[in-house]
This record gives sequence, C-alpha cells and structure tokens, in this order.
Amino acid sequence: MLNGFKSPQTIALIGSTSEIGEAILKHLPLENLSTCYLAARNPQPSLQGLPPTTIFVPINFEATDTPSHEDFVQKLFSHGDLDLAIIAIGVLGNDANLSAEENALLAMQVNYVASSYVMHLIAKKMVAQGHGRILVLSSFAQTRPRNDNFAYGSTKAGLDFMARGLNEKLRGTGVSVCVLRPGFVRTRMTQGMDEAPFTVNPDDVGKVAASLIASKHSVGYTPSILKPLALIFSLLPPAVFRKISER
Amino acid sequence: MSVSQETGWGRTNFALSQSAHPQSIAQLGELVSSHSNSRGALAHGLRRSYGDSSLNSGGLSIGLENIAAINISPDTRIATVGAGASIRSLEHKARELNLFPPVVPGTGFVTIGGAIAADIHGKSHHATGTFSACVERIQLLLASGELVNIFPTGPSAPQFWATVGGLGLTGIITEADIRLRSIASPFVQVEETREPDLAHLLSALKSADAEFEHTVAWIDLSGDFCGRGIVGKGNYETREYQARNKESGGVGFPSIGKYSLINSATVRAFNELWFRKPLASGKKSLNAFMHPLDGVQNWNRMYGNSGFFQYQFVVPDGNEDFIENVLGVMKDAGVASFLGVLKRFGQESPAYLSFPKPGWTLAIDVPHGVANLEAIFNSLDEELCRREGRVYLIKDARIRPEHIPVMYPQLEQWRKVRKEMDPNNMWQSDQSRRLKLC
Repeated sequence: MLNGFKSPQTIALIGSTSEIGEAILKHLPLENLSTCYLAARNPQPSLQGLPPTTIFVPINFEATDTPSHEDFVQKLFSHGDLDLAIIAIGVLGNDANLSAEENALLAMQVNYVASSYVMHLIAKKMVAQGHGRILVLSSFAQTRPRNDNFAYGSTKAGLDFMARGLNEKLRGTGVSVCVLRPGFVRTRMTQGMDEAPFTVNPDDVGKVAASLIASKHSVGYTPSILKPLALIFSLLPPAVFRKISER
Repeated sequence: MSVSQETGWGRTNFALSQSAHPQSIAQLGELVSSHSNSRGALAHGLRRSYGDSSLNSGGLSIGLENIAAINISPDTRIATVGAGASIRSLEHKARELNLFPPVVPGTGFVTIGGAIAADIHGKSHHATGTFSACVERIQLLLASGELVNIFPTGPSAPQFWATVGGLGLTGIITEADIRLRSIASPFVQVEETREPDLAHLLSALKSADAEFEHTVAWIDLSGDFCGRGIVGKGNYETREYQARNKESGGVGFPSIGKYSLINSATVRAFNELWFRKPLASGKKSLNAFMHPLDGVQNWNRMYGNSGFFQYQFVVPDGNEDFIENVLGVMKDAGVASFLGVLKRFGQESPAYLSFPKPGWTLAIDVPHGVANLEAIFNSLDEELCRREGRVYLIKDARIRPEHIPVMYPQLEQWRKVRKEMDPNNMWQSDQSRRLKLC
C-alpha cells in the first residue's frame, strides 16, 4: 500500500537489468519500500542503493514468451498489493546477428507486444486492488519515423499509444499509466552509437521519471526541451525533417 | 452500492471502494453474507481516523450511520447504543438525564463503533482509563454472518479485547452497552495555568492529575520550541445548574483548494496569541471543555488539499527527554504547528492493540510538504521503539510495518484471536494491508 506520503511499499521493475530502470528506482521515495520485484531474463538477486530492509524478489521474465506472462504477473501480486510497476524492457533492433526483418520482429515482440500485454495484465490486477501506478518507458523516437530507426520508433509509438489509451480507459479506477519519452540515453544499449543532441544519462531519466510518477501527469519528456521539439518535429515538412534527421 | 473515493481526516490517504449504507442490522447481515470480494469489507463511522484505518481500496466500505439508535436506562445508567451513533449524540441524550460518558475524546464526531475500534481516550485517561473501561457489552457481526454478544470478562473476553482497539478487523461492531456516570449539571469547573517551558509544563500536568479528573496541556510548537504551554484542568461541576444555551454545531471551514493557511508566520502569530490569552477559570460547558476543536467543523481543510499528518506517540515515564528531542527535531525541520497536545496517561487497557500506556503522550499536527518529513518520522519511530513507546494506530498514515510488533508486543496474541474470528480474512483495511496486521 502507498502510505500518506504516496511512497510505494511494493515496486516491480520489469527490465531490472536496464540501467534506466535502476536509476528510476533510486530516485523514487523509498522510505516506505518493503518489497521490490526484479524481473528480467536473468534478474540480479538485489540492487545496490535501496534501503537495507528491502526484500528483493527476482523473477525470471522472458519477453518473447507471451504465454508465460499471465503467470509472471500473478507472481508480482503474491506478496500483497503492487503499488508501482515500471516497464523498462526494450531492444533497439540492431543486433548484427539478425537480419533487418528479424530485428524488426524482435523489437515488435519485446517493445510493443510484451510491454503492452504485461501492462494490460498488471493494470487489470491493480484495478481489482483499487489503486496503482504504471510507468512505461517510451521514447522520443516515437515522435516521427526516421529512416535509421523507424522499426524501433514504431514499436515505441505503438506502446505509447496503447499506454495513453489504457490510461484513459482506467480513469475512475484509482489506477493510472504514465509514459516517459526520453531522448538518446547513454547506456550499454547505446554504447558505440553516435550521440544525438540533448543526450542524457540514466540518472537524468531517473529524476524525471520519479517526478512524473509522483505527479498526476501522464506524459513526460527527458530532457524537457524535447517536449516543444516533438511538436516542432511533427509539424515540419517531410523534406525539412529528412534533412535534419540525416545530420 | 456505489463506487466512491474516500479519505481519512488528514487527507493524505485516499481509497476508491464500493460503498454501502445498510438501513438495519438485518440488512447489514445480508450485505456481509453476500459479499465475496477478495478485498474484503470494512465498516466506517465518521472518518475521524487520520490515515487509512477506515479505508478499504478495492473492497467494500460500509457506513453505519443508519444504525444509530440510543436507549438509556436511567436506573442502571446503561446506554444501549447503535455503533453508528456519535459520541456527541450520546452525550446529548445522556445530559438530558444528568448522565455523561465517563470517557470522551477531543471531538464528539466519533461514532461508538469507532471509539471502541480505536479504544479512544480523553483528558480523563489518568483517572478513568480508555473508552473500553465503560463498555459492558459489544454486539458484533462476524464474517460468518453470526451476530454475537461479547463481554470484557468470561469466555468471550479474548474476542472482546481483540475487538477493542482492533481497528474494525475482527467484525462489525453493531451495538454496545455503555456505562454512563452521573453529573450534577452539564458544566465543568475549569482552571488553566500558563507554563514557561517544558519542565514546568510536565511538572504542572503531573501534579494536576492528583486533583483533577480531566487534564491536558496545549504546547506551543513554534518559535524557540521551548515547550511552553497552557495546562487545562477540570472537574465535573458538583452544583446543579441548568444549561442556558443550546449547543452550537460550530461554524464550517470552507474548502480552500490547494492553498494552506498553515505556515510559520500564521502559526507563530496564532500560538503567541493563544499563549497570552486570558486563562479560563470557573464554570465552562461540558461540550466546550471536552471538544474544543468541534467549534470549527472541517478544520482539516485549513491545511489545503495536500493535507497533514498527526504524529501521536506515548513514551514511558523517564523518557521526558524524548519529548524534548521531538521538539528539537520539529524546530530543525521548520515545522510549525498550532496543535500540540501533551497528556499524561494512566494504566494500560487489557486490549491487545490499545494505544495508551503509563507515561507521556504528545500529539502534533504536521503539514504535508515539510522537507524530509517521512524520514524524520521514521527516525523518531525507531527511537520510540528503543524506548518502548508507540504511535497511535488510528492517527497513523505512514509508519513502517516492522515497527508494529515492537510497539505493540501483544500483536501476535491479537492476530491469533482475530484469525479464529475471521479465518477467511473478510475484514480488511488499507492500513491492515500496509502494516501487514492480519
């Protein structure tokens, strides 16, 4: 249960090996934290930087194994109410061992299908408990297709759309979903790639995510300059946008 | 039934739940028998608990305002009262017969069911004990649908003392027999003294307990936090007087949205005036003396939408320095509060989860939004555990669950009795889930 400070007692980090997910956790109000579920393909047993009294519950999560997701979500509620779920799974779709089509399929399966499905399953359980908040990691890449990452961008656009739609559907249930749209973040996943303008660190994303979770807002950007840029980008004529995105 | 959002008195905890308001005990029984939601059910009264004791997110929340009949036998001085009746309405009826409940809290807007479920106390605790001391019978609706009568002694005593202070988690209290006391008139003879610092305040309270049935101190929580304050003392008026005026329901405080009237400047000004006010002496109406806060209805709105916490704790004798520490912590944190109440407790009630125990209790209202407040409270709780103190669960909105077994050493016995009374965990609250009580 949340306490009077709205501090979560139980949190699930889905994609627990994600540096961004870990950074988000560290910026949350943790005074009330009791249980933290760490879900990933090979989840770590615990996380540094959280209160020493935290009970960590590692759970194996295979994003592409959709039939296992219902059982997986059931486990997230096995210690009582789940106050906050952070969905931070994702692939860029640039695995050199896979073809472009296979990369696109994997991105669709992980970023869109698994994230959306798990989000729905968690939301359903939270509605039954009458409260809960879900944070979904979207991306600035969902703003407009670019030729170098449109497959990834499309999966995040789909997830973003689904999350905002679900948030609308959940109005009046005590449960809400928010989406965070970071720009380029320096992580293991983006290592070796050319940095885009307004690149941030996981810690910057963590701060913004924590304040988004605490707020009543449903969409956030990091860095904040990306919010007006998203509007400008979506209005630019295709030729101008192409020229900018190729630079 | 309808879905509604409810909040505690502190307006810091919220819950969305199914809401029902049965017209009779029979209808209540049907409602409970047909309820099968895994989030369970919980009865509520006037929602004067500060945090989430009366909230049940996702479950059923049952208002008992229609189960509020009051019948008083002047011969036996026993009032048979529906759980949804308020202390205020019981007082009103009792006063007509020159009777009065021996234990009343600082507000009359508490139901009989709530008073039992929280085992409330008042200014008379050192002399009379908690509310349960005047409860002779509780009628309880069990999760099985069975309506039982439980008593403070005899075979049902464990159920009785698990229900008293049991936060509504053993069943729904539907009715109780309350033993009233005789009064000559609806007045109290009052005395007040002004004390310059904490040492004098503690000493004045301690000595007042020998002479007065009602004692309490207002403590100034602003400025230099030296612990200055006013000790209020009273005994029931022994001469017969007729009450001249009808009691007022108090003026209502308007909603001020997100704004708060509480800041260090307003509190300091108010507290300075309050400390300098002319001291009361002589005859005062029972209502004004017992329930000073009822003069302003919805006063909790003063803190704006973000709400406030009340931190009420008790520490055993010999831990007076803890009170001084708390004042220092509040000062360092920049907390300004116009409500600080200090009182000395008498003997502990036999109830497993009753709050009062011999020693000192201090209640402080703290606005939400003070920097690091959650960490400050947690740190005070840890110190309190080391000193065998405890916080008052009915005021709680944020304590960590691991502190509960330390503060309430009879928790395991309570759990055992409760489990026998409610094996399928029908009775639940947001607080019981948060503190893992059941």
